[in-house]
Amino acid sequence: MNRARSSAVILGLVVSGSVSTGCMDFEDPPEVELKTNVVDWREEIIYQVLVDRFADGDRGNNFAIYPSAPGKWHGGDWKGLEERLDYLDELGVTTLWISPVVKNVYTDAGFDAYHGYWAQDLTQPAPQFGDLAALQSLVKAAHGRNIKVILDIVTNHMGQLFFYDINGNGQADDPLNQSVPGTPDVFKENEYDPTYDVRGVQAKTSLGESGLAPVIFAHDPASNHMPPFPEILQNPLAYNRKGRTYNFDDPDQLLRGDFPGGLKDVNTELCPIRDAMVDAYTRWIELTDIDGFRIDTVKHVENGFWRHFTQKVRRRLAAKGKNNFFMFGEAFDGRDQLVGSFTKNGNDAPPPAEELATDNQCVTDGQPLTADMLDSVFYFPQQFQVIRDVFRYRGPTSNIQKLWTDRAVNYGVTPAQGGAVNAAGQGVSPQKLLVNFLDNHDVPRFLFTGAGMYPEDPIFGTPLSLETRRKILHNALLFLFTEEGIPCVYYGTEQDFQGGNDPGNREDLWTSGYSMEAPTFQWIRRLSAIRKKYPAVNKGDLTILWASDRTGPSDPDANVFAFERTGGDAGDSYAIVVINANIEKEGSPEFGGQAMQVGAAPGTVLVDVLNEGGQTYTVTNDGRLSIKLPPSSGAVLVPESQR
Amino acid sequence: MPDVRRPGPEFGPRRSRLHGVPSALLAAALCASPSLAAAQTEPTAEPKPAASEGAPPLADPPPAPPPSEATKPADPPPTNDGQAQRRPGAGDVKAAATKEEAPKAAEAPKAEAPPPPETGFFLGTYGRVGAATDFRKRPGRDADIVARGSRLDESSYVEIDIQRQDYWKATGTTTRAVVTLGTSAPLFHYNADFSIRMAVRNLFLQANNIVTKGLSAWVGSRMYRGDDSYLLDFWPLDNLNTMGGGLRYDFGNGRTFVAWHAGLNQPNTGFFRQTVTRTPALNQVGATNVNILDRQKFITSLKASHIFKAGATGGVKAVFYGELHDIPSGQRETEVKGTYESLPADFGYVVGAQLGAFTGRDPSHVNLFIRYAGGAAAYGEFGTPFQLAPDRTSAGARELWITLSGNWETGPLGLMAAGYFRSFRDASSGLDSNDVDEGILLARPHFFLTEWGGIATEVSYQAQQRGVRYQPQAEPGQPIPAPTSDPVMGGLFRIGLVPFLNPAGKGSYSRPQLRLIYLLTHRDEGARSMYAKDDVFSLREWEHFFGVGVEWWFNAQTTYGG
Repeated sequence: MNRARSSAVILGLVVSGSVSTGCMDFEDPPEVELKTNVVDWREEIIYQVLVDRFADGDRGNNFAIYPSAPGKWHGGDWKGLEERLDYLDELGVTTLWISPVVKNVYTDAGFDAYHGYWAQDLTQPAPQFGDLAALQSLVKAAHGRNIKVILDIVTNHMGQLFFYDINGNGQADDPLNQSVPGTPDVFKENEYDPTYDVRGVQAKTSLGESGLAPVIFAHDPASNHMPPFPEILQNPLAYNRKGRTYNFDDPDQLLRGDFPGGLKDVNTELCPIRDAMVDAYTRWIELTDIDGFRIDTVKHVENGFWRHFTQKVRRRLAAKGKNNFFMFGEAFDGRDQLVGSFTKNGNDAPPPAEELATDNQCVTDGQPLTADMLDSVFYFPQQFQVIRDVFRYRGPTSNIQKLWTDRAVNYGVTPAQGGAVNAAGQGVSPQKLLVNFLDNHDVPRFLFTGAGMYPEDPIFGTPLSLETRRKILHNALLFLFTEEGIPCVYYGTEQDFQGGNDPGNREDLWTSGYSMEAPTFQWIRRLSAIRKKYPAVNKGDLTILWASDRTGPSDPDANVFAFERTGGDAGDSYAIVVINANIEKEGSPEFGGQAMQVGAAPGTVLVDVLNEGGQTYTVTNDGRLSIKLPPSSGAVLVPESQR
Repeated sequence: MPDVRRPGPEFGPRRSRLHGVPSALLAAALCASPSLAAAQTEPTAEPKPAASEGAPPLADPPPAPPPSEATKPADPPPTNDGQAQRRPGAGDVKAAATKEEAPKAAEAPKAEAPPPPETGFFLGTYGRVGAATDFRKRPGRDADIVARGSRLDESSYVEIDIQRQDYWKATGTTTRAVVTLGTSAPLFHYNADFSIRMAVRNLFLQANNIVTKGLSAWVGSRMYRGDDSYLLDFWPLDNLNTMGGGLRYDFGNGRTFVAWHAGLNQPNTGFFRQTVTRTPALNQVGATNVNILDRQKFITSLKASHIFKAGATGGVKAVFYGELHDIPSGQRETEVKGTYESLPADFGYVVGAQLGAFTGRDPSHVNLFIRYAGGAAAYGEFGTPFQLAPDRTSAGARELWITLSGNWETGPLGLMAAGYFRSFRDASSGLDSNDVDEGILLARPHFFLTEWGGIATEVSYQAQQRGVRYQPQAEPGQPIPAPTSDPVMGGLFRIGLVPFLNPAGKGSYSRPQLRLIYLLTHRDEGARSMYAKDDVFSLREWEHFFGVGVEWWFNAQTTYGG
């Protein structure tokens, strides 16, 4: 009896000990079922997040953070982002574009890879942001709120993973003092980032050249300068090895030169590399059910790669149940024709037959490639020509008209097969899917102290007050949320962040306290609601009603712009947007005593759903509409019947 | 005026002007060696640089053991193991003991069973401290060019020996746990650096009379040695430093034993271990160390010793000894990260013997040691093979030591003498600077003026030749002559005067001993050529060493096994 009692006591102790420490059980790996989560990408409002700067939800992954230095890790992670989905929900955004998730070179030349664009291992998550489970949890939680997720990826280059052993001494020399043949000059090169050479980086000493410089991969686990993955990227032949691009107008440098900063250009012309990129990045979608790709540096990669990559990704995901997967590219360039070229699908601008035949040599699944490429691009030309020139520099609104008119030529009209579709499953033209933005991580924020100044010169211009700049910002946001395409808001915009160039424009959002009372937060929330409520504002066809070359103080329509949206996939939904971008005087879409002609039927009563008071306007019998707007303001007019 | 040298066989001896006679004697010994035509050195055969004074030499060791193992108890205790029932004190010096006690073999207790060994903690120490100048206000410096020279100019060194002994009635077994800590110069009072580098020279437990009477077993980390050559401060036959264990069986006659040992070590070099940094597993941040190469040297040794009685107290000792060294294969990362090269397994062996005679009445004795090592063992038990054979093993490396060491005392006179010849060849086929033939003859006569002190002198000649052609020096303005076909050979003659005090009474091995030391050294041109340019030893023909020194040992000898 006593023995039995003792045994029971011991057993009880063991059990209670186990319970108190917890069992090493994990939940079953989540079955990630790929689904089509997006009805029509034009209904989406994208919010761009630098994960490291958004929210720190897990101090356990704060490795070597240095929050006081803009160029270092700050601690943000996927868990933090997930915990702040309420904030985003409240803001009204519907899609998260998260910075790259793959494992990076941690730090290089004193700067950290908090941004995620220095990939080292395309197969592993960046541990600073969490593990795969954390990423899956984020995506799942976002989807639970009907928030979609877009993944930022880079195929053009990897991080600074190797150096060119130019002088053959087996070590990375920085600087490498190079003599200029035939001259007494010595200039400083860096074996990690030597100047472009069309023949490939040459090994050389003061006596002359000796052929291609060997490539030596770094091995430093602490900074994660380690050989890359997938393993094919450990082969020197996987890179173009031509050195740092210095002339982006030279096609060979553009496509095959290393990206400045020693980022090694991947030889994407090789079939195994193309397949490896498809496999590496599609795998992330299969693991997480993410809904789209934002693709970095597309202009630095040949079109053949994009045909291969986009089509293979679409097919692979469609086979697993995911359609309407959205891929938009970033070409940091103001040349509209260049940026638009990546959206020319089908017969918009088919490549020469021999070029397509060459591309098809990489096809092994029996499904030949077509001319299709991306669904969309980041609309950089608009950022330069409209956001900067019209809104910040108060240029004529005819710039907008010209840019948009060119869109019909410069951008693809044909949807990619298997690409972005509308609610009816019909492809949506890239011209209607451009991703519009005011600013991002590569340009100064809209409110940077140059904002509103013309010219933007800190010496000769006087910075405008924050209040004035905020009004301009709100007007630009109105434009962003009502024009054709998909609006994209850079994190921190809602908190009036004012950072300048990289890394000044990558502030920690937590310094704002995630205030939902901030004026711009409220403004974006209002715009989001309007965009969601009125199909015309997100899917309607767009017609410019008023644009003007005039910017003078006596011109009634100086800096005034107006357009209406209706039809298309918006049906009868109708909206007119009027914007006065002039910061000093009232403006009206009229000139010479003639108000603007609108598409709404005479007698239609339009109500302003943007501003307080709901002021109404009636279309005159001759189809015109008169409206006067205060400086830096706008209006969104919808038929009272659709209010 | 250049030396006049006669043509000779390649790598034959080169005659020194000043040291002609002793050099010729050594040369004769070298030429008589069957291994002479192809030879080399262990790493320690380099001329010792000044900095070496501060380095704790591995083989630099505690004091000389008693003149002969016959004078040691079979179970050498810090206790009065069956003899005097008295705990050892500071005055218990081994020399005194050897003077007073006859060897066990000669004086075994007759009828009474000895009392059990004492239980308790015991403390022992060996130490030597020296302070010297070269008469030029620079430090006095070890001037030897051979691997083992006079110990008078050795740098400071100390060991502290802590032991715990227990007698276990239940089994009749005595256990002894030994911890020996050693450290060396430089000392705080010399360089004001308040730190030391300390080594654990012993950490083991030995059980005596375990299972059966006469059988002892030990496990731990241990210096494992036999008889030394006191004057030259080394163990000519066996000197192992390993972690492992061993067994020893002492036969009932008290004069015969067999000892076996097996142990491991891993010298801290890239030949045995290569640690690289890698990314932590499971996608964790940071770096972690991974041993790509991690191989140990396995060493096993076997020793058999027997003493033949000679007269009432004397005897003749014969020892046979052997070692096997085994190094497994491995691989290591090359300088091209991510690529690896394989390292083949390696092997070595030692065979050796010792023949000695002792009087038993006093520390008078003589020992002749012969040791031949092949393969990896030629580099020593702590050595890392270098200059390898084409198959990257140490096959072909070899080392021969022939050592003679002895002591004779009578009345107020004493004479300690030692000498050795050594021939070493590394595993590479050609001759190089590591291929060495060398030798030394050294004598230290003592004249005991009183019980408490006396005067000693020390006279020695050492010579070394290396597998590098001799380059004659050119007269200024004259053409540089071609290298000769003779190997570089250097000789060094030394004479010294050492007044000393012996608080424990007279005797060559009586310690502690306080000394005033003066040594005068002559270095010939060949010896000077063995030092790097701008080393003062490369410039000076005559060298002075003047200083004071002290040496002691108290109950420290019991930690040496084998």
